[in-house]
Amino acid sequence: MASKFGLAGGIPERRVRPIWDAIDSRQFKNALKHSASLLAKHPNSPYALGLKALILERMGKSDEALSICINAKELLYKNDSLLMDDLTLSTLQIVFQRLDHLELATSCYEHACGKHPNNLELMMGLFNCYVREYSFVKQQQTAIRMYKLVGEERFLLWAVCSIQLQVLCANGEDKLLLLAEGLLKKHVAAHSLHEPEALIVYISILEQQAKYGDALEILSGKLGSLLMMEVDRLRIEGRLLARAGDYSAAVVVYQKLLKLCPDDWEGFLHYLSCVLEDDSIWCVVADNNPIQRSKFLDCRVSHLSDEVFDCRTSDASAFVQKLQEDNRDSLIRGPYLAGLEIKRRKHLYGKVNDDEMIEALMQYFSIFGHLACFTSDVEVFLQVLAPNKRTKFNERLVKCYSSLPVDVTKMLGQSITLFKVQDVMGNMYTTLPVSELEDTAVRMVKLFFESLPLFKDLDPQESMQGEELLSLTCNVLVQLFWRTRHLGYLVEAIMVLEFGLTIRRYVWQYKILLVHLYSFLGALSLAYEWYKLLDVKNILMETVSHHMLPQMLKSPLWVELNNLLKDYLRFMDDYFRESADLTFLAYRHRNYSKVIEFVQFKEHLQRSNQYLVARIEAAILQLKQNADNLEEEELVLESLNCGIQFAELSNEIRPKSLTFNEDLQSRPWWTPISGKNYLLGPFEGISYCPKENLTKENEASVRRAIERRALLPRMVHLSIQSASALLKDNMEVNGSVSDPQIYSELKFLLERYAKLLGCSLSDAIEVVMGGLNSQKSSEVFHSDMVDWMNFAVFLNAWKLCSNERKQLDRDGCAPGIWRTVNSLLEKYISEVVKSMEPLIHPSRGDLSFLVQVISEPLAWHILVIQSYVRSSLPSGKKKKKGGSTDHSTSPLAIVTRDTIQLLCAILEEVTRWLGEQIKGPEDENLEIILSSVRKESQVEGPGQVFQILGTLISSTSEMEVGVRICEALKSWNPVDVARKMATGQSLVLSEFLYICESRMKSLQLLKHQIAQV
Amino acid sequence: MTTIRRFCCNDLLRFASVNLDHLTETVSLLLLLLYFLQFYLINNCVNQWILSSLFEVKQFNMSFYMTYLARWPDYFHVAEAPGNRVMGYIMGKVEGQGESWHGHVTAVTVSPEYRRQQLAKKLMNLLEDISDNIDKAYFVDLFVRASNTPAIKMYEKLGYVIYRRVLRYYSGEEDGLDMRKALSRDVEKKSIIPLKRPITPDELEYD
Repeated sequence: MASKFGLAGGIPERRVRPIWDAIDSRQFKNALKHSASLLAKHPNSPYALGLKALILERMGKSDEALSICINAKELLYKNDSLLMDDLTLSTLQIVFQRLDHLELATSCYEHACGKHPNNLELMMGLFNCYVREYSFVKQQQTAIRMYKLVGEERFLLWAVCSIQLQVLCANGEDKLLLLAEGLLKKHVAAHSLHEPEALIVYISILEQQAKYGDALEILSGKLGSLLMMEVDRLRIEGRLLARAGDYSAAVVVYQKLLKLCPDDWEGFLHYLSCVLEDDSIWCVVADNNPIQRSKFLDCRVSHLSDEVFDCRTSDASAFVQKLQEDNRDSLIRGPYLAGLEIKRRKHLYGKVNDDEMIEALMQYFSIFGHLACFTSDVEVFLQVLAPNKRTKFNERLVKCYSSLPVDVTKMLGQSITLFKVQDVMGNMYTTLPVSELEDTAVRMVKLFFESLPLFKDLDPQESMQGEELLSLTCNVLVQLFWRTRHLGYLVEAIMVLEFGLTIRRYVWQYKILLVHLYSFLGALSLAYEWYKLLDVKNILMETVSHHMLPQMLKSPLWVELNNLLKDYLRFMDDYFRESADLTFLAYRHRNYSKVIEFVQFKEHLQRSNQYLVARIEAAILQLKQNADNLEEEELVLESLNCGIQFAELSNEIRPKSLTFNEDLQSRPWWTPISGKNYLLGPFEGISYCPKENLTKENEASVRRAIERRALLPRMVHLSIQSASALLKDNMEVNGSVSDPQIYSELKFLLERYAKLLGCSLSDAIEVVMGGLNSQKSSEVFHSDMVDWMNFAVFLNAWKLCSNERKQLDRDGCAPGIWRTVNSLLEKYISEVVKSMEPLIHPSRGDLSFLVQVISEPLAWHILVIQSYVRSSLPSGKKKKKGGSTDHSTSPLAIVTRDTIQLLCAILEEVTRWLGEQIKGPEDENLEIILSSVRKESQVEGPGQVFQILGTLISSTSEMEVGVRICEALKSWNPVDVARKMATGQSLVLSEFLYICESRMKSLQLLKHQIAQV
Repeated sequence: MTTIRRFCCNDLLRFASVNLDHLTETVSLLLLLLYFLQFYLINNCVNQWILSSLFEVKQFNMSFYMTYLARWPDYFHVAEAPGNRVMGYIMGKVEGQGESWHGHVTAVTVSPEYRRQQLAKKLMNLLEDISDNIDKAYFVDLFVRASNTPAIKMYEKLGYVIYRRVLRYYSGEEDGLDMRKALSRDVEKKSIIPLKRPITPDELEYD
């Protein structure tokens, strides 16, 4: 390293080092000073220039940095005698990359490599440039050149990976793989292979071409010894044999594997697939979508004859039995679950009935029933039982549990398991009478208290075994709410969880449940507080944000929403930016399989539905935030390139498949995916729903919504233009878009928008026009009401610049569509305001509707009017020329005035209601909440759990549960929680009030302006 | 039932339930930077100023996990239950020169649902085996908070001894313990003879 420091970019290292040091300590001015003196000595050194550019870039002076870099680049091109070393080029590369000019860095390296064709270091730099640009073909060509130059195995593998990437990620033809295979074969013949990763790539190339026999031959040959871990080798061998259809040989290999790793579930599934000659498991591998977590194992009902099936399964059972015996001491779950899986397959084949299945499950319970994972282990087996048999299984469990002699911890584990089994089976809760359900919840809370003494010495950071009980209690209480519509049950659920967090504040499961409960009750700021405490960061933002983001998008908490979106987008964009460098790191460390994985993973995340939603919604949020001022809105639109990219994005989504990376397992049962909430509808008797099935249903609607929303910025822009174009009949067009263009583009977008709403443009117009009276339209409206209102507003704007409209206007006809839009806004807003329930209430879902209508369609409508009024102002630049019509009495001017009047009235109604809500007496609200859980009689109804909680808290002593838990119990104050709930909403309402008021202000200003027209 | 296999990128999208848990070790900024410092000095020689750009990298980045995947894929394993549920994972690396060539456990974590099944032990043993048999390292080491008694006890049960104390290792506040376990190559078990005095983080050879 020292020698490299001797000369840096042809300059003595001692002269350069002060610059580095200054940059490192972020003293950029100082660095610049050093750099100036260096440049005085070496004015034409590209390296010295590169350093200066780097400093300037870090100081935020991007333009200067870029021009210096380009200057350095030109010097390099002009003067061959200048030093073209990797240090100089990589310095320039860094600056170019940070300035988003990868192509300039690449051309520097291309030029240098052209001048010095035998310089390996430069070629590696060039290869790296192509990795950054994802130019797989050029990567391949460069790697081959390096390979030819020095004959090293790694460069050959770089080329092979580049070929594989062309096939996997860039529509490269499969025959390219033949080329890769040929290259490898030739190299192996001459030099063999030396890296295990190289062998893995070689095998994958063959496997991709279905040359399983060839791959097996290589694996069993000398090269196979590169794989040092026997189990890795066996896994590959088994897979190749199975895919080649040689099931009997594969069975032998998998048996060897299972003897070495008897707990290997995947290995066992592969083994069983081979035993039953079922290749569906390999199809899943080939499908290359391994993220979809399916609890339900895909398998085909065996095509084997009865006799063969019996024989095979009994062999497999015997093998599994042997595994169980051999591992009796270590008590691993694997061989026992394997036994269950064989039973399940036999059940599917009709060879085992429900009772036998139950028997097998009971055996498993007797050994592993105390484990926290018992329920998730057996979930898949419970699915095959008929509903009445599930109930029977539950009864058997209860009986068996009371007869098992176990220690206290195990007993607790088993008791929790009993509740959990009921929870996942679903039908239990929906068939029990209300009183029994209440009783179940009470028993859960009691058991929780009984478990506390077991953990009195536990570190508070460690999870306690009984914690799940409170989540289960919450599930039951929410079920009770759904059935009875008694708000008290929800309040109890919240109390239970808040109580749990007082005992131990780290339980993320409680926090997630609270996020959803508070959101449901409209106390979004409380939901957001708990969400923040989940401390979601890094890649979890991709998988966990769905708990919060969808509600926030419809809320008035714009600052918080902006933070959520900003953090998430920054994380994703940072990753996309650095991802290629990480890929190159994998190349350099010869982990070739990771190269492919990294590129595929980046593509996967780029197609994330949530990422697209966030990008679009971040733009729309800006538009919402600035909608009160036309000039500011125009600046925002300008920064968004008038929405062109988003409109293009909307077009581009279709051919790609979106990815859904949300971790749905952590969602509560009542809202298995965002956009679905059972509690909003009537009781249906569901308490458990396989989430993955819903995702598929949801995908199409998410895609449509993204496509629709992506059109919005462009449509807002065009609507503003359209309104001002109205009065430009005889004016020269000075904007970039002329009237006919606005007209036709807006029409095109309206057609698309209508299509995404499920109808043709003419049908959509009909729906809007009939929006007030027709019953049918109301129903249509209901699902996507806000989208329809947006459509109506844009439709009106479009009509404004149509020739037809101008004609009508001149003829003195009233602009019908405009009035329709007004009526729509008036009708739906005041309907909702009138129907709003006071205080904390689930109907607050309507609040988010109100928020959306006022932040979007109403805001765009005002913008259109502002634009119209501005263009009709007689003063300043906007002075009309030659127009003979008196605009102040034209039908349009009249409708404009009427609209402003009407919108003011609508907003006044909303603000009045909001004001009343916010000022509402807190104590009264508090009392309503507390009384909802106060138990005054013995009849069923909310309050039992809350009551028992109080009783148990007061009867628990420090002796039993230790100081820490005892203090936590003492600090529990349900009144505080109730107060928090009562005031929780007012924050949201205040934010909303602020939005309404600022919309009002802009209308007042308009009124004033219009008086001058 | 557990499949232990190499960690892959897609597992990053599956491990939410493990990483939301409070006890999962998240890496401090200091460690991250130290790590990059070492990484770039070793690998990139003179491009020292890249460092300064990396100082901007805070918690919003993925390079931490992916750098481990890119460099030491054998040291990054995930344990999976039926239904592709992530039970836990271990990440580590191999580094050092001469007799300090060793395996290092950066993080090992198990979801509460799958605790009490000796999964952490299985994952640790796997990393030790790889360090011992494939990379022929002399020892495996790890850092643990001095206050984390349950973890220290667990590591001791797995054969680790406290080699030295690192003062204010965790975010400049809490001391860390450097625990080591000798592998077969260190026949005389020289690597685990405890140091008499505590050291400061800047005295660490590796992070």
